[in-house]
Amino acid sequence: MKSNALHATALAIFLMLVGASIFLVKVVRFDYPVRPGTTASVWTVEAFIDFRARDEPARIDLFIPTQAAEREVTGEQFYNGPFGLNLTGEAQTGNRRAVWSYRFPSNRKVLRYSAQTVGESPSTPLPALFRETADRATPFEADPVKRQAFIVWTQSLRRRSADDATFTELMLTELFGPASRRGEEADEQEVLLKQLPPPLDRLELARQTLASQGIQARIANGVKLIDDTRRAETISWLEYRVGNEDGRFFPDGTPSRFLTIWRGADGPLKASGVSELDFQIAVSSERSSAAALARRAGARDAPVATFFGFGDLPLTTQLVYKTLVTIPIGITLLVFLRQFVGVQTLGTFMPVLIGIAFRETALVNGIILFSALIAMGLAVRFYLERLQLLLVPRLAVVLIFIVIAMAGVTILLTGSNQSIGLSVSLFPMVIITMTIERMSIIWEESSASAALKQGVGSLVVASLTYLVMSNPHVEYLMYNFPELLFILMGMCVLMGRYTGLRLSELWRFRGLANS
Amino acid sequence: MISTWRKLREKGVIGINERNVMFVSAKNPRRFMRRVDDKVETKRLADIAGIPNPELYGVIETARDMKALPALLAKPDGCVIKPACGSQGKGIIVIDGPLREGWRLSSGKRITRDAINHHVNNIRSGMYSLGGQTDKAVIEYRVKFDPVFGRISFKGVPDIRVIVLNGVPAFAMLRLPTAESDGKANLHRGGVGVGVSIVDGTTRCGMQFDRQVVVHPDTGETLTGITVPHWDDILVMAARSYDVTGLGYIGVDVVLDEKRGPLLLELNGRPGLSIQIANQRGLRRHLAAISALDVAGASPESRVRLAQKVYGESYEGGALAPAPVSGKPVLDVLEGGLASAAA
Repeated sequence: MKSNALHATALAIFLMLVGASIFLVKVVRFDYPVRPGTTASVWTVEAFIDFRARDEPARIDLFIPTQAAEREVTGEQFYNGPFGLNLTGEAQTGNRRAVWSYRFPSNRKVLRYSAQTVGESPSTPLPALFRETADRATPFEADPVKRQAFIVWTQSLRRRSADDATFTELMLTELFGPASRRGEEADEQEVLLKQLPPPLDRLELARQTLASQGIQARIANGVKLIDDTRRAETISWLEYRVGNEDGRFFPDGTPSRFLTIWRGADGPLKASGVSELDFQIAVSSERSSAAALARRAGARDAPVATFFGFGDLPLTTQLVYKTLVTIPIGITLLVFLRQFVGVQTLGTFMPVLIGIAFRETALVNGIILFSALIAMGLAVRFYLERLQLLLVPRLAVVLIFIVIAMAGVTILLTGSNQSIGLSVSLFPMVIITMTIERMSIIWEESSASAALKQGVGSLVVASLTYLVMSNPHVEYLMYNFPELLFILMGMCVLMGRYTGLRLSELWRFRGLANS
Repeated sequence: MISTWRKLREKGVIGINERNVMFVSAKNPRRFMRRVDDKVETKRLADIAGIPNPELYGVIETARDMKALPALLAKPDGCVIKPACGSQGKGIIVIDGPLREGWRLSSGKRITRDAINHHVNNIRSGMYSLGGQTDKAVIEYRVKFDPVFGRISFKGVPDIRVIVLNGVPAFAMLRLPTAESDGKANLHRGGVGVGVSIVDGTTRCGMQFDRQVVVHPDTGETLTGITVPHWDDILVMAARSYDVTGLGYIGVDVVLDEKRGPLLLELNGRPGLSIQIANQRGLRRHLAAISALDVAGASPESRVRLAQKVYGESYEGGALAPAPVSGKPVLDVLEGGLASAAA
């Protein structure tokens, strides 16, 4: 037994030494910053295309950002696999495409493109192409009905505006504003909308309307630059120039930073000869990117930096690991709370899983949601008890009920606060179901207060682990110094040999101390 | 808080961490744990070794076995249904006797055939088992407890828990059901634990919900100074449980039946620590003293005498000397123990 204890201590010390030495080498020798930077300057935008090839010639066309003075792309990387890559540019629109092609691909294939850029802000000037004045265009020439509707709509706008600037403002308000402000020509607008996915249909009409008045306008597409977005949606907006003023109109609200990738009403990607296409764009900023750190340190630290870092992985995978590496911190905290404090929880790792779910919902919403789901589930569980169902079917009924309840919550909340409504879907329903079952057994076999005590204990632990796991400093440290995992492992080994009293046992045995 | 910690350390009070690391995982090989976690297996081993235990009426494991249930329950004197792999007294039903279209429970309530079937099915599907795996329902003889504890228990069956280290009984406690524990002797539900001297089986001091108590909360009778009958037999049964299971650190639960005497109720591979409060003593020093003994090859009887000698020495003149012994000559026991240890 003595040798066991010695062995465990030796292992713990070894693990901690390994972790600490790699950490120190990185910090002291290679000047890795141990705190996240204050400003994010360089963004990495990565497009990730995943598809199944069908044994026939395949071609993938992807819009990629153009190098331009107003949005510098400092670096670009292509991951082609066996595909041939061809870069084409269109002088008229300024668009740029990557064309990947291959004659006989098979199985799953992955293509990647990533770019480093400082991005643009709403005050960034529009490209020089916009400086030229345009001729008045007359849309809908071919269709007399639409032509008539268009004239009614533009004449009405002209009548009610003073100049190009007020015309533009009025037109955008009526096209994109709430239904009550659509103006009298709402029917004409509907007729004129093209068969395009929203908001492109209205943007296209706005572009045509502006062009008919001799105002330069184009649809632009790109992504919002928000740190750590794994699946960034492409957004579309309108760029126009009235007089000498550049203007941008974002239908879904103006982002603080964004990157223009292409212009026009086309989709981001065209593919032929493939199926099961999955396309995602991930965004992260330099302060959180290990790749940027490794670059800064230069080639001299190549072995250390590439081995103990995530910099070489695709950006989407990097972002997954960013979350994953914080979980051990939560687990270590849980071990501490159980072994040293003696907090009682429902299920061993259940609080950490709830804590991870809180990442999506934020703390207060998460606690409310969790409590509400548990309360509703318990009510259903007690009702089912009267029907005398067998265990596994009963668990299934409770689980299905939880899914329904979550769907209900999502639908209810989507109206008021979209972010809660969407993130609720990630709540771990199996864990909740098992929690309900455990709580109801404790409730029946011991008492309601014991069940509530353990429920609240679990919630407190979940909140604490969430607060630790979501702390930006903790996240930064764990992500950029994954060798700290060895230290956590060593700590857990040491705690596994702790034989002293728990804090809760001091309370439990207090009568013995004073006898 | 630090002073509490220091005092508890001085008294040798051990916590869950120490129990798990130093005793449960060090003394109880995982492969033998099934012998105590599965009550059917425990009974089988006890029967082989000739340790008396409540008679097994039947085991319900499969859906086909369910047909035999009414016949198994048709005992005029009642029976007990329990999950084979249950813990902490979860899922146990005590049937008093048959009624028309059902049975009468020991609590006086009536239970229908449907409700019994549902309960047995719940047991089988693993609702009460340790890891949630499927389980069996055990139906066994219902103990008619010795009236010696009648004045200090409320409904239910009192039992005796003995902690056995390396086959040497270390600590013992009498567990008494109360109204609050719903007739069950489990301490975490509000049962009363009363420390019992290993030397002579007299009760010393009591506890409920981790607090010291002097009288039974329902009957108001004094808890101390009662001698447990068949004490040496109980200790020998506890000591033999070690030989049967091969587990070095177990809790042995024994009930006293009116006619059949002490019966082995169940064994526990992770016995709780409240026994320290019931005895007003920490376990550590005593367990260390027992660990230091060389008991290899010693018979259960000689180990019991050794246990009584070590216990007497450990607590002689201590802060809490054993309660005054009524009538029984302690010296004889001790000398006998010395003689057999020397032999």
